[in-house]
Amino acid sequence: MPSIHRFSRLLPVAALLLFALEARAQSFRVQCPAGTTLHPADTSKDPAVTTAANRAKYSSITKLTRTDGLLDPTPAMANPGIKCQQLSGGDGFATMGDGTQTYLFSFGPLSGLSNIVKGLPGTVPASEFLQNNLASDGTVLPAVKIGAPDGLAYDFNGAIGLVPNVEATLGNGTSTAVVDGHLDARLVMDVGVMNGNIPAPMIAIDEGDELFLTLTNVGMVMRPDLFESHTVHFHGYPNASAFYDGVPDASVAINIGGSFTYYYLAPEAGTYMWHCHISPPEHLQMGMVGQLYVRPRQNTVTAGLGLYAAAQAAQLDVSTKCSSDDLLCSVQRPATSNSTLASAGKMYAYNDGDGSTLYDVEYPIQMHGFDPNFHFVGMTFNPESFADNKDKYFLLNGRSYPDTVNPDPLSTQVTDGTNHFSQPLSSIVNIPAGGRALLRFSDLNVTEYHTLASLGIRMHVVGYNARLLRDQDGNNMDYYTNSVTLAGGESADVLLDASGTNPDGTPLYPGGSVFYLYTPQLDHLANDAENFGGMMTEVRICASTVNAATKQCN
Amino acid sequence: MRTMNKSTLIVRLLGSAAVCLASLLAVPAWAAAPGITGPVFDLVAKDGYTSQPDGASVYTWGYGCNSAPAGFAPATVAGANCPAGQMQLPGPTLVVTQGATVTVTLTNKLPGAAGNTSILFPGFKVCAATLNADGSCTGLATGSPGVLAQEAANGGSVTYKFVATTPGTHSYYSGTQGDLQVEMGLYGALIVLPTLPGGLPTGYARGTNLPDTCFTVTGKLPNGAPDFRLAAAAYDHPSACYDREYLFQFSEMDPRIHNQAQGQVMADKQKALAQRCAVPTGCMVVETEPYHAAYFLINGRSMPDIADPNYAPQYPQQPYNGNPHMHPGELALVRIIGQGRMQHPFHEHANHVRLLARDGNLLLTPGNRLAGPLLFTTTTTPGQTMDGIFQFTGKSLNWDVYAHSATPGAGDKYTTDPLDPIYGAYNGTAVPVCHGDANGYYTTASVPPAPLTAPNYFEWCPDHQRPLESKPFGAVGQEGPVTLPDPNIVVNGAWYAGSPYLGADATGRAVGATPIPPSGTVANSPTGEAGFAYMWHSHNEREITTNNIFPGGMMMMMLVDPWVFAIDESN
Repeated sequence: MPSIHRFSRLLPVAALLLFALEARAQSFRVQCPAGTTLHPADTSKDPAVTTAANRAKYSSITKLTRTDGLLDPTPAMANPGIKCQQLSGGDGFATMGDGTQTYLFSFGPLSGLSNIVKGLPGTVPASEFLQNNLASDGTVLPAVKIGAPDGLAYDFNGAIGLVPNVEATLGNGTSTAVVDGHLDARLVMDVGVMNGNIPAPMIAIDEGDELFLTLTNVGMVMRPDLFESHTVHFHGYPNASAFYDGVPDASVAINIGGSFTYYYLAPEAGTYMWHCHISPPEHLQMGMVGQLYVRPRQNTVTAGLGLYAAAQAAQLDVSTKCSSDDLLCSVQRPATSNSTLASAGKMYAYNDGDGSTLYDVEYPIQMHGFDPNFHFVGMTFNPESFADNKDKYFLLNGRSYPDTVNPDPLSTQVTDGTNHFSQPLSSIVNIPAGGRALLRFSDLNVTEYHTLASLGIRMHVVGYNARLLRDQDGNNMDYYTNSVTLAGGESADVLLDASGTNPDGTPLYPGGSVFYLYTPQLDHLANDAENFGGMMTEVRICASTVNAATKQCN
Repeated sequence: MRTMNKSTLIVRLLGSAAVCLASLLAVPAWAAAPGITGPVFDLVAKDGYTSQPDGASVYTWGYGCNSAPAGFAPATVAGANCPAGQMQLPGPTLVVTQGATVTVTLTNKLPGAAGNTSILFPGFKVCAATLNADGSCTGLATGSPGVLAQEAANGGSVTYKFVATTPGTHSYYSGTQGDLQVEMGLYGALIVLPTLPGGLPTGYARGTNLPDTCFTVTGKLPNGAPDFRLAAAAYDHPSACYDREYLFQFSEMDPRIHNQAQGQVMADKQKALAQRCAVPTGCMVVETEPYHAAYFLINGRSMPDIADPNYAPQYPQQPYNGNPHMHPGELALVRIIGQGRMQHPFHEHANHVRLLARDGNLLLTPGNRLAGPLLFTTTTTPGQTMDGIFQFTGKSLNWDVYAHSATPGAGDKYTTDPLDPIYGAYNGTAVPVCHGDANGYYTTASVPPAPLTAPNYFEWCPDHQRPLESKPFGAVGQEGPVTLPDPNIVVNGAWYAGSPYLGADATGRAVGATPIPPSGTVANSPTGEAGFAYMWHSHNEREITTNNIFPGGMMMMMLVDPWVFAIDESN
């Protein structure tokens, strides 16, 4: 059926032509200050700046226009509370469970590439992000190349394209080129074109962090007719500003050839999600969906200290307090005092104050679905229809079974013959013997609800829509179930607890056991024409511990 | 007070954000939760046509007024009407008070081929005969026997009586051949206002060092602005108070079903009188499966029609809109009903919703406090209602949304309309202070207290005067964390007022020496409203389309407006 969508696309183009006089060829840049007012840089942390006299030449705050004669702090001085990430907005290809190569509108990593290929969040501290892409002899680092990242050994996490800006001047008047966020467009395009991922690059921050999230629109090589702008919608951000909410109607959308840095103060802990908000029925179905979560400040409570006391202390600061009069207060203190102590090596899903959301290892799992007809139409310049969207691929982290249990990143050959890691994230859930895994479920399907069930280990639902399940009296409202059902735009935090023993003292869930997460919506256990696959993955009990970095059994 | 210009046509541009095309007719459009009052209601079930933004005129069955209603609520909504003998989609919203004996007479003026019809009032003990003071139901039942309810035969009527025992938001819908009749449009909302002794919830007390949250209905809100509430609270509970309220009914339409029904009705009407359908079960043989909804409706309308006013003349049979507005800190009661047959994940941008109640039942803790979850997506379920409280404050962004600047100069002076009766006095004055109350907001509980007419009432004080922008640009604070983008590499949306800031004052100060192209928006004027706009929509994104056209469907824009911009919901 014809769609006015095509016509509406021409309007921004018309607008651009009207105002194109001042336009520069491109405006690729990142923003990632080493120090801000909230998170000042530590000028003593740069080993290259040894003397107090030299340190005094540096400001603790990065400024674009300096008049104080000081120097911006160096990346080594960066405050660890500043987190940065760069995304490409463009297109790419992914491989479905039946081997089909599927076209995507998609986001790809333009920083944190080493983390992303290993299935980890691409968000890195400013010190790691701010790496000059040029070696001391002026040559481009080998890591910045077409097809990057190219394997698990890839180890560069810096911002792609970051080079000294020959037009910039230091605050003290000298004209030495500095790394100030200026990007070399060639490097950005080499890495960013056709590097789309499904899910989009994962974002993870800690409460209190400042996140500088740069979206760089590299254009869609397969659809040069579209002039598609993109945005980032931080789905669920409480008290969001309209400006950084990513809704193109209510803010700005980022054109091809441009970069925009979204700025967020990390909100309360929880499992959120993110996606493009341009023409959502199209861009989300085509794959512009990603995972985003915020870890609680309770993770920083020193092992051996009381969690309830930490929750009490948070009441002294209006930024973290939770008043019983506040209807939207996110985390009430527990109803009664308790003596639970922070455990070494453990993490928490929320500032629970009672340890009820403790876990050993976390697995972000995003549910999604692809309608292959829509993706075919999306690649072939034809009008799209929405009402009869029918997903035929049912995805966990962009993959269907059996790809979900492949521990390695999946790559797909794109149209220029290069391979790109299209689906870096496995969905294998490895639980340490007797331990607990946190499953951060989010759903960004655009056509229907999904149910995911657990065989063998019951689900313990502790959070929902990025909020701890707790009433205003402070009672936990958590519950046990065998399945959760989520719509697009919903999330749930589910613990799988592998502790417990049989009456004879043997472990209830012995090392080596394998259980399944699968959808009881039986038509979703298929990969298009194959009556096998779909939304299913394995829960494996490790003989001992799990490597937190690789998520593999030790 | 400043006024707002809205345009029906410009909202059709959303998704493209081509603000340079702005001109067009100005239609103010507001929301509230309008309905008709009783407690005696004379309703009709009838056929008619509803319009969709793709130009379709869809054959629809609906409830309407059989005779003029007792009154309209809130009384301040202009243009309220309920024409006798005409259907509407959804049916009239029935507003009653808890404990009242409600009488609903339904006259069946549907085509003969439709057969009988009826109304279910889920959650209430309904009597179609004589409802006695002791609650018993005796005597001869009105209407004709049906399965789920007594029915009105074609041309006949039935009278339902029940005591409105449960406050809150409820639905009503046909209990006869529901798969067809509800799809055709026979549904509506029932709002039961709680009994509030003294006009406020029992046990309400102002919090320590916190502002009042509950206000009796006097026609004015505390700051002197007009009041469009039906009651002070949704329930007799101190946490159920609100400042504004909005009702959203979710349903969908498969036009093939409507076309088939229309064909069969017309065919029957063309028969000789003696041969026309005259059986209680009707003569419709409509395939309601497989189901392919193409229209996704909130309050019977789709985007962009939903943004037009209540009782807009261009939608004579779809009187209710969806166009919520609120000021920072105000408590907005969101009444959500799942009509139709599908679930819809209704995603509220800007903040979580605190769920108060389901199907009129408060979710409470043993300590009588709220137990409902905080949700950023409120999934609607057919037959289920939800009441929730939504509030936006702009807390913890780490920058001042009003762009208050600590630097002497234009950035520390307010610009307001000097003729504004409430806020005119602030014109040219120094930027207000911000003293945090117990929760950090600038309110009447601050020391010294904020005037209720402060332009920055309910500002989150820890972020007061914290700049967003790094470079000096216009008269806003600088040395903040970010640099705004080159305007040439972004497209402005129709609801983007042109700056990251809230209000015309800040937006005006945030402009540098040369204007930023493209400037000016129509739906959210930079010199007038300049609010923060958010999309509230189904997150089954295929449902924000109208018969395969994006944008459309289950989508609306919610505006958080600066206090200096008066929110007038009287249309």
